[in-house]
Amino acid sequence: MAISVPEYDGVTLEQMYDDPYPTYAMLRKDAPVAWLKPANIHVVTKYEDIMQVERDQETFPSYDNRSLMIKVMGHTLMRRDGDDHKRHRKSLERTFSPVSVKRHWKPIFERIADEIIDDLYDKGQADIFADFAAPYASRCLKEVIGLPNMDWQDLSTWSQAFMDGVGNYGNDPETWARAKAAFEGIDNAIEDHYDGLKANPDYSALSSMFEVEDPIDMADIRANIKVIVGGGLNEPRDVTCTIVYALLTNPDQLKKFLANPALYKTIFEEAVRWVSPIGMYPRKVSKRVEIGGAILDEGDALGLVVASANRDSDRFENADKFDIDREKMAHIGFGAGPHFCAGTWVARAQVGEIAIPKLFERLPNLRLDPEHESKFGGWVFRGPLSVPVVWDA
Amino acid sequence: MTKLTFILPDGSSQEVEATAGHSVMKTAISNSVNGIVAECNGSLACATCHVFLDDASAAQIDPPGETENDLLDFAAVERQPTSRLSCQVMVDNLPDGAVITMPETQV
Repeated sequence: MAISVPEYDGVTLEQMYDDPYPTYAMLRKDAPVAWLKPANIHVVTKYEDIMQVERDQETFPSYDNRSLMIKVMGHTLMRRDGDDHKRHRKSLERTFSPVSVKRHWKPIFERIADEIIDDLYDKGQADIFADFAAPYASRCLKEVIGLPNMDWQDLSTWSQAFMDGVGNYGNDPETWARAKAAFEGIDNAIEDHYDGLKANPDYSALSSMFEVEDPIDMADIRANIKVIVGGGLNEPRDVTCTIVYALLTNPDQLKKFLANPALYKTIFEEAVRWVSPIGMYPRKVSKRVEIGGAILDEGDALGLVVASANRDSDRFENADKFDIDREKMAHIGFGAGPHFCAGTWVARAQVGEIAIPKLFERLPNLRLDPEHESKFGGWVFRGPLSVPVVWDA
Repeated sequence: MTKLTFILPDGSSQEVEATAGHSVMKTAISNSVNGIVAECNGSLACATCHVFLDDASAAQIDPPGETENDLLDFAAVERQPTSRLSCQVMVDNLPDGAVITMPETQV
């Protein structure tokens, strides 16, 4: 157990789910490294402290034998360190490099976005979450991982099952059962696509891991596909919804974007900062260390709350405001260090460069539905749960 | 020891004694030289440690590898012939007195 860390018990997990930001603000001010009792984890909430952790892989490794991710998905690259991690990461380079995104993935994402918008157009109303962002993220992800023949709804269900499993600190048996079904479902889909991908290699993650020089084991390939399924769906989905909501509730900023489409880059990064879809991720402490005024001990589990770091007023002025005109500062929504999000360039194109411009170009006079309210939820993972909109069809 | 001079976007300069075995990125960060973000901390996954080398230094070292070369196209400030990702440049390979210029921004 930690040697000297302030404890905080003044919030329930339900309150965190509704809106964790007031708690984060309080922790940053009074206890930047704290034992968050309701969640049973030490949380690090300030930007500079998280950077300190992420720059020191030896003291703060990603591997932890208690990891629920390893239990649910197998030993993925997100829970590996050092050269072992590098080798895994390298085996995915062909899929995720910015050049592959530009040359190969962009036209595929454009086609998918157009098909979904074609189907929606005449309705004149939709929930951006359920009717656009979720199917779009899932259909793009099928292509990226190399399982194009899957049903996008299955992929979406299994992605959620993995995410719930990874967060199943309460040991709920039904959640384990769903995660197990997802595990088997993905393994079967990989089996179905195996021969085709071996015969015709492409840019997909599976193909990239098969074809790389010095490939990793098949069991590890399957685990990595599962972590991409878990992590590659809700984040692009949630950021898409966050941007639509943010622009529709800030008409002055929407006006600037419509006048200058190149602003999509700034808008995307600002949305990832403002409501970071992955709010917190874990690290382990490998030896006694002082951080943010607290003293932690070997074996302690840490949660790096990047959602909080991205609202840290020591780094971002008026941090709670969505503001595309703010001074440009790197955020930490994609993490930092060796585990910096592998899918960053895919997400920038898929959401920022393609989905958002297409929605605002193709759906005339897009606006929030005055009859139905948008909702946000979550803290470990956070984003809009629904963004009802209307347009002039 | 290799002596490096960093030129910052505001025109000021900072001289640093670099430690053998370190990259230029690590040298800048550990000596509190501003201007490098290094989101991925040297994993060759972002493009936020972009620098411009002086001509002589750029000519003396191995050219960028394929991934570094690709990533440089995505740097926030447009690349120049002597652009490098500073995480990929080891100080041991640079001449003493190498001059490294920071771009206006990394994001």
